[in-house]
Amino acid sequence: MPAVIRKREQRISDAPAVKLGPRGPFPDAPMRRVLERRWLHYAFLSADNELGLVANVAHLGPPPDQPHLGTRCTSILLLHKRDRGWRASDFNAETYTPLWSAFQQPHPIGTPGSFELASKAGPVSVRLQLERSSHPCTSQCAPFATNQHLRWQSETGVIAKGRWQYSNETFENVEAVGYHERVRGYWGWPELGGWVFGFANDPDRSTHAPPVAVVFTLIQPLSPLDAATASVMLWRHGRLVRHFPRRRVNVAVAGEVDKVHIRQVPALSNLLGVPPMETVPRRLLIQAAMGSDWVLLDFLCEDVARVVIPSETSIAPFSVHEVIGPVFVKGRIGGKGFAFETRGIVEFAGGAGGD
Amino acid sequence: MIESAAHLLDETVDALSRRAPAIVAAAARQMEGITLGLHFGDDSHAEMYPDHSRLIVRRSRAENPEVEVYFDDRSMNLLFDLGGRPVDELWPGSLDVRGERSKVLAVWRTFQLLSQRASGLRAVQGIWREYRDRNPHIWGGEPIDNLKARSDVQSLAPRDTGWQALDYLDRRHPHDVDANGVIIGGTVRVESRDLWDGKNSSPWWILSSTKDADLMVTMTACKERVQEELLRIIPDREPRKELYDLMRKYPAREGKGLRPTLTIATCCAFGGTAEDAVRAAAAIELYHNGFLVHDDVADESTHRRNEPTLHESHGIGLAVNTGDAMNLLAVDTVLSNLATLGLARTLALIHEIIHMCRETVEGQAIELGWIRENIIPVRDEDYFHMSTKKTGWYTCISPCRLGAVCAGQTDPSVLDRFNEAFRLIGIAFQIQDDVLNLLGEEALYGKEPLGDLLEGKRTLMLIHLFREADLAERHRLEEIVSAKRSEKTFSNAEELLAAMRRYRSIEYAVEVADRLAHEGVRRFEEDLDSLPQTEAKAVLRQIANYVTTRPL
Repeated sequence: MPAVIRKREQRISDAPAVKLGPRGPFPDAPMRRVLERRWLHYAFLSADNELGLVANVAHLGPPPDQPHLGTRCTSILLLHKRDRGWRASDFNAETYTPLWSAFQQPHPIGTPGSFELASKAGPVSVRLQLERSSHPCTSQCAPFATNQHLRWQSETGVIAKGRWQYSNETFENVEAVGYHERVRGYWGWPELGGWVFGFANDPDRSTHAPPVAVVFTLIQPLSPLDAATASVMLWRHGRLVRHFPRRRVNVAVAGEVDKVHIRQVPALSNLLGVPPMETVPRRLLIQAAMGSDWVLLDFLCEDVARVVIPSETSIAPFSVHEVIGPVFVKGRIGGKGFAFETRGIVEFAGGAGGD
Repeated sequence: MIESAAHLLDETVDALSRRAPAIVAAAARQMEGITLGLHFGDDSHAEMYPDHSRLIVRRSRAENPEVEVYFDDRSMNLLFDLGGRPVDELWPGSLDVRGERSKVLAVWRTFQLLSQRASGLRAVQGIWREYRDRNPHIWGGEPIDNLKARSDVQSLAPRDTGWQALDYLDRRHPHDVDANGVIIGGTVRVESRDLWDGKNSSPWWILSSTKDADLMVTMTACKERVQEELLRIIPDREPRKELYDLMRKYPAREGKGLRPTLTIATCCAFGGTAEDAVRAAAAIELYHNGFLVHDDVADESTHRRNEPTLHESHGIGLAVNTGDAMNLLAVDTVLSNLATLGLARTLALIHEIIHMCRETVEGQAIELGWIRENIIPVRDEDYFHMSTKKTGWYTCISPCRLGAVCAGQTDPSVLDRFNEAFRLIGIAFQIQDDVLNLLGEEALYGKEPLGDLLEGKRTLMLIHLFREADLAERHRLEEIVSAKRSEKTFSNAEELLAAMRRYRSIEYAVEVADRLAHEGVRRFEEDLDSLPQTEAKAVLRQIANYVTTRPL
């Protein structure tokens, strides 16, 4: 359950609460082990390129000696305003349950549902209506270490409309497009290693779904040696049309972001002795090619927030760097070329260890 | 203006000695005492050989080179390639290397190290760019235009050129972005690297093994930032003429910026930001300046940093009072960290500073006691002990410890890892300073020439001289040393210097400093191995090596 829950009098959506059952990649089964995890992740960028949002609601299995405690939940909301940087809640953002998710509450495309998150005693909150415009990808899985795995499924082209509160500024009727993802797995942060993940949507709003949407993932466990995996997925008008598998993807970085410009969140982490993290790359380049199809993303880091996540099994915490900045996307799929410049959100995550 | 290839080599090594001593020290180790003769296609010649941790370059033919290398114009690319693309082929006859096989390989390793590590420094890039621009014909191919517009991307489509993420990153930079990484002073070129090539993964968060920093640029930047903070801290009110103006002007005198750099770099090496350490660095500077003012009064010095000492220009009373005010303001400066660093770190800073001050005054007391009692210690260890207390702590050890505290590291076992390495480096530094006072030009050193001899300062050279001199001569030397400063003449000081030369006391001191510095560098690498290899650590490494390659 989320850390702080206010019960609503009305349901978020009229969509039926479908149980997905215990089998399958994302079983609606109770979590029994402490490293079992279940997440819902959201990221949006406003149409005017001024605002950005990242939110995560994560559930963790109970401690082995206290199964009666049930799952533990952390929820965090980060908002970004151009030229003013990131602001974030602590890990106790208030939300409603059930949280909007087409995965947990399947509903048709074009049917809006409510999504609200607010910092408990802080400067950020959103009250949005979310609407699907696209179909999700098939679920992906990264096995690593000896018995651990991370499974995820992405839905791009989620349209958001509503109110954003950033510090003492309120923005009404903001239109944004973004990304939703669910994650389920069993892993320790040191074994997971790290990841580089991000998305970009074609800013052309003439169609309901973005004409082109790209999601990329690079997961970098340190063992076994062949555990690292990468993928680039490309949607056209709401349909997943290409999935470039690991052997067809090339990821490179250049430069470094000055640590002075990285805001560390949640605020509580600044009071603790959080060890330093490696410098975040300034620029990220992703290329994927298969046959005559190819896509290229050139992402430039503009602003970074380091989300410090305590690791259950190591001294050094896991750090998720939420990075926002301009991205240039170009490619050719099925003989048709495309190119656009917009803003994207990328995550550079890793760094747990040091027992 | 660089006139020839030999001149280019000379300038490069000279720039490296000042800006990145760690590179020179590493290259000198690779050279293994070999004398190298270099001949270039423009008919210039150079001799290069290592001297301890220094590389000596002379623009002349080597008399008895153990290895000889001939580079013609076309093979200049081999030495240093600014274009970023390694040369694929070597023209027949463009490179000729002669010498014993193991020595040729040692020379090859030296140049490989120099080209790989020095090419990241902007100052070195500037020297080579200037030379290349003046002699474009000797460089193979056109330089790559790093600022091509994004519209060129079509030609780089992967289907045409294969897997080229790195190539793309290296060649194209958005117009609004500096291609070079910037952390402290902006001295390191961060190479692009693959995270995933379709098969192999290189974690984005794992640190690269070695980064080198331009020490001069970094020290200047740190010094200026701390200077700015000092001027901000010193009150702008009356009495200006008798106090605050003196406080403002004194720290502005030329200094190297060693302490601010150590503090800021250590803070960054522990994951803090440069700004976190600025006030602590300013506090150390205030203490340091306060001590200097009082020290000059006690030593009756006439010059400091190329200007008359404060008591010479404004009288003893005002000078002592200004020194007191500096020490007082330093306390205030440390406390001002409360708002940004919090209570725990500020308390730890106070704890460190109290320790630093105690060591300093104890060291000063030991030396003044020697002078007052007319004692010249017999053992070098006594000098090492005094020197560590008097200058080692506040010059080297405490700035590092304070920087680490600013970053939130207060564990004594971690802070103590700086002690031995920087104790050794501090002593070596002090010995070299003393040697420079005897040999260096006033303009470079900033104090009056032979001032230490006039003051009767117990330096390692003096201790060695009194240990080695025969009895009759020692009596005469004792007469000079024990005389009051006002009674000493410049010829007395010269007499002492001549004796030191006769007994090779200066050479002895240089040897000892070299040995201590090497041991310090070794301890630095060993004790601080757990610190990640960041640019900030590279700055610390350069300072550690600065002592070993400092021109004397």
